[in-house]
Amino acid sequence: MDFAALLLTLMEIWLWTGAAVALVFLTWGIDRIDPDARGAYVFRPLMVPAILMLWPLVLWRWARLEAKAGTFMARYRPLRRAHPAAAVLLCAAMALLLSMGLSARQDWPAGIAPVQISEAGE
Amino acid sequence: MSVKYVPVQWNPNKWLYNAAMLGGVTAFLWIFLYITPEALSHERPINPQIHNARAFGACAFVMLTVILCIGPLARLDARFLPLLYNRRHFGVMTCFVALTHVGFILGWYFAFSSQGGLYGLLTANTSYGQVAGFPFEAFGILALLCLMTLAATSHDFWLKFLTPPVWKGLHYLIYPAYAALIGHLALGILQDQQNHVLTALVIASAAAVGGLHLIAALKAPRMPRLAGEWVAVGRTSEFTEGRARITLLPSGDRVATFLMDGTLSAIANACAHQNGPLGEGRILDCLVTCPWHGFQYDVRNGRSPAPFTERVPTYNLRRTGDLIEVQTAPNPPGTPTTPVPVT
Repeated sequence: MDFAALLLTLMEIWLWTGAAVALVFLTWGIDRIDPDARGAYVFRPLMVPAILMLWPLVLWRWARLEAKAGTFMARYRPLRRAHPAAAVLLCAAMALLLSMGLSARQDWPAGIAPVQISEAGE
Repeated sequence: MSVKYVPVQWNPNKWLYNAAMLGGVTAFLWIFLYITPEALSHERPINPQIHNARAFGACAFVMLTVILCIGPLARLDARFLPLLYNRRHFGVMTCFVALTHVGFILGWYFAFSSQGGLYGLLTANTSYGQVAGFPFEAFGILALLCLMTLAATSHDFWLKFLTPPVWKGLHYLIYPAYAALIGHLALGILQDQQNHVLTALVIASAAAVGGLHLIAALKAPRMPRLAGEWVAVGRTSEFTEGRARITLLPSGDRVATFLMDGTLSAIANACAHQNGPLGEGRILDCLVTCPWHGFQYDVRNGRSPAPFTERVPTYNLRRTGDLIEVQTAPNPPGTPTTPVPVT
């Protein structure tokens, strides 16, 4: 099995695991940890894609909420301080990628006559 | 706001926002497909599938550029705040436009791959050790995965379930998504340019996004972090009716102290919804309104008006002469406090 096939197989396993988590969470767990979800069913299918992709995060938060872990202030601490670092990193990454792309660019061989590199009929 | 979850909490503002957004996307695609083929280096004949793929890809890039400009613009100038209001719908639509781009690509270049389009996409070019001819598709896949994550977690349930700081941290993925998209373009379509219109557009977009973020970071107000169990908020004469003064506490948390009807009350500066800056909001009908999405709280008890259930922590105030001080330890969300008169 080559790397691409392995990657796709692992992705399939990941998504099927996520589907199992989604089934349990959306039919049972969500009602336990969020009063606003009780009696609300139409929105639940919209939650499936995120659970398929992020099921470990869902399980972690579910366990934290069941255990009533963490302080109430944890909900009120914005990530404001990360903005400058994110801005600098974004600018550096964009500058690097653009310079790499533009430096690797080659001229289109317009005006150059085609050359036959193999014998006719080969 | 809360109560029971529904798929989308529509209101006239969201209808208007989405109609304008859909109109913009339609106009962009129409112009790209029918007006500007020469300007966009399509002199060499390309088939409709590739043309469509490029139109949707370019549209997703422009949409993501606009989305990323909205945040710093709103921080620099409050007149841009209405654009922030429904930005999540903008992001979801960007994801669908990007998926349409991928659909055209897979349907044309990899339609006959023996093990499926995705396998073909992953194996068509594996020259990861060189810049020229680098498999730019990998950058596109990374950007798409980020966009899908953001779109999938855009519902308010995820904000409450993950908590706003975790949700915001997850949604920082928009930055690697944009950087990956720049890499996707720089090592992809920009390698094949007869004229330089698209090159100039990509560089200008990256400069706008990066420049606005740097300016917003540099212009962010810096506050001294005070020490002690009680810290000074300001003199009574320094408060404006209906507005707040924001103070940085020793814990790193910010408190917003509002003057309403001649009395002062203090609540956390972070909205319970997305941690928006409540202290930059104004009081209307005894309620402070978050400038980001309009969530409202009674500043005397940190509670949203019924039937809504959002709550924010409150803080105790005291007055010594004309000096107002706040207790640095917060009260649990929704705890009533006694307002302090300024006269």
